[in-house]
Amino acid sequence: MDQETVSTICYLARLQIEKNKSEKIKQDLETIIELIGSLQKIDTSSIDPLYSPLEMTALTHEDVEKSDNKKDKFLENSALSNEDYFLVPRVVE
Amino acid sequence: MSIQFKSISELRTMLDEKLISPLELTQESHQLAKKFKDLNCFVTMNEDFSNKKAGAIDLEKENNSSLLGIPLAQKDLFCTEGLRTTCSSKILSNFFPPYTATAVKKLEDAGSITIGKTNMDEFAMGSSNETSFFGNVHNPWRKGYVPGGSSGGSAAAVAAGIVPAATGTDTGGSIRQPAAHCGITGLKPTYGRISRWGMIAFASSLDQAGPLARTAEDCAILLNTMSGHDPKDTTSLNIEVPDFLSKLNEPIKGLKIGIIKEFNLSDLDEEVQARFEESIKVYEKLGAEFVDVSLPNISASVPTYYSIAPAECSSNLSRFDGVRFGHRAQDTDDLNDLYIKSRSEGFGDEVKRRILIGTYALSAGYYDAYYKKAQQVRRLIKNDFDHVFELVDILMTPTSPSTAFEFGSKGTQNPVELYLEDLFTISSNLAGLPAISIPHGQVNSLPVGLQLIGNFLREDQLLNVAHIFQQNTEFHLAKPNMENFK
Repeated sequence: MDQETVSTICYLARLQIEKNKSEKIKQDLETIIELIGSLQKIDTSSIDPLYSPLEMTALTHEDVEKSDNKKDKFLENSALSNEDYFLVPRVVE
Repeated sequence: MSIQFKSISELRTMLDEKLISPLELTQESHQLAKKFKDLNCFVTMNEDFSNKKAGAIDLEKENNSSLLGIPLAQKDLFCTEGLRTTCSSKILSNFFPPYTATAVKKLEDAGSITIGKTNMDEFAMGSSNETSFFGNVHNPWRKGYVPGGSSGGSAAAVAAGIVPAATGTDTGGSIRQPAAHCGITGLKPTYGRISRWGMIAFASSLDQAGPLARTAEDCAILLNTMSGHDPKDTTSLNIEVPDFLSKLNEPIKGLKIGIIKEFNLSDLDEEVQARFEESIKVYEKLGAEFVDVSLPNISASVPTYYSIAPAECSSNLSRFDGVRFGHRAQDTDDLNDLYIKSRSEGFGDEVKRRILIGTYALSAGYYDAYYKKAQQVRRLIKNDFDHVFELVDILMTPTSPSTAFEFGSKGTQNPVELYLEDLFTISSNLAGLPAISIPHGQVNSLPVGLQLIGNFLREDQLLNVAHIFQQNTEFHLAKPNMENFK
């Protein structure tokens, strides 16, 4: 793994790593990738992946309107909002 | 009469016999939390509200729930309406949820009193509680030593006798390993047994809530209340929940217990091994039979977990963007910059490391090699368990390869060193199986845990086997000397 790959992954994850930590992060990632890479020696050619221990389709429920609108409470948790929306830096000119 | 170190059952008797009122009990619990504040096991206290709720309880008029008036602590990963919920992260350090997690709501509806939110590894990522934004939790058995993780604050609060029980969550051992290091009992139920709604997600196919308590009997009381179908969690099982308390005290003569050959126990510390051998003898005397069994793929559990859990974590934690809740960075150029700076300032190093690993494992070109491959190996591991449970009733291992260790002594140079702490616990999360850790003695004056793994949905059997052990031994009654924390 080179620093360019680390930078690409960081961007995909929307994370910035301080310069003085980037070498350590690279080493840690290499060590962990080596650990999970050890699975390659196991033959799984005819094995289906197991994505959940329950192996069941997610349950669905009736799509009915509920009255518990908590908009104000949700907006309260935002660092910046007005009475209706979360506010972010301008995205269109 | 002191309430410290009392079990739920003992406190219930004290309440019923009017030796103490619910309000006095809650107040005493808060006093103990203050007295032992150096443990750092709480992030947020709920004193005013809990005193008000406890003061309003009328034992004569209200339901006869075992939990009525019993003080509990909740891991700070469960959303609690109006009560700060941080996941021990800077990014959520000022988050007040608009709703309460189902598991906690059920406990509160049964009359229990939430006295506070417990410290933990940040977003439950860690095995030592050293990744918390709010600082390390001390092990009540020895200052400067870890309580285990990630539910370290819950385990320490119970071990110190502040509360009789607490909630935790277990993604790779996060209930059982701290229970072992703190000398208490901790149960990870079957995946789907307890609703995950309102739990801040780490790895959704592995996370499961459960109780930490002084005894298996108390775990059964909590499990009775926490379990059950919840339409708000699509992975919550819609099946009847047995009365786990009524299944205790079943004789275990003829019970078949499997010892996993692939876990080479002779590699362990001699004393850890000795405690394990002694527990085998306890069960043999009670009529259980031991069988060596093979789970050929179990040694792949740690690498399998460290591919799947970070992948799910990188996806789940993408919701923390600084916009709708949580920490928001100042002085940002544009929306993308807002995301990057808020996340980079808000997450700690271990969380970043796992997000990056997960992002890499899921990225184009690597998905099949890492993520899909791990899910295939996961099936092999589950198949191994299915096969073994045709031969035995329960599996037995140490909970952790070692005792609690000193702050900063593991994983600082190489994170994998700390990941191996979960060697014995991770496989039951991958397969969705229930497992419990019970204290079974000490090594160098620190507690060690015995892990029992049960078949799918067999918490009844697991709790009974643990309870029978506790009826015939006194390890669970050992208490730490709290003089160093006053």
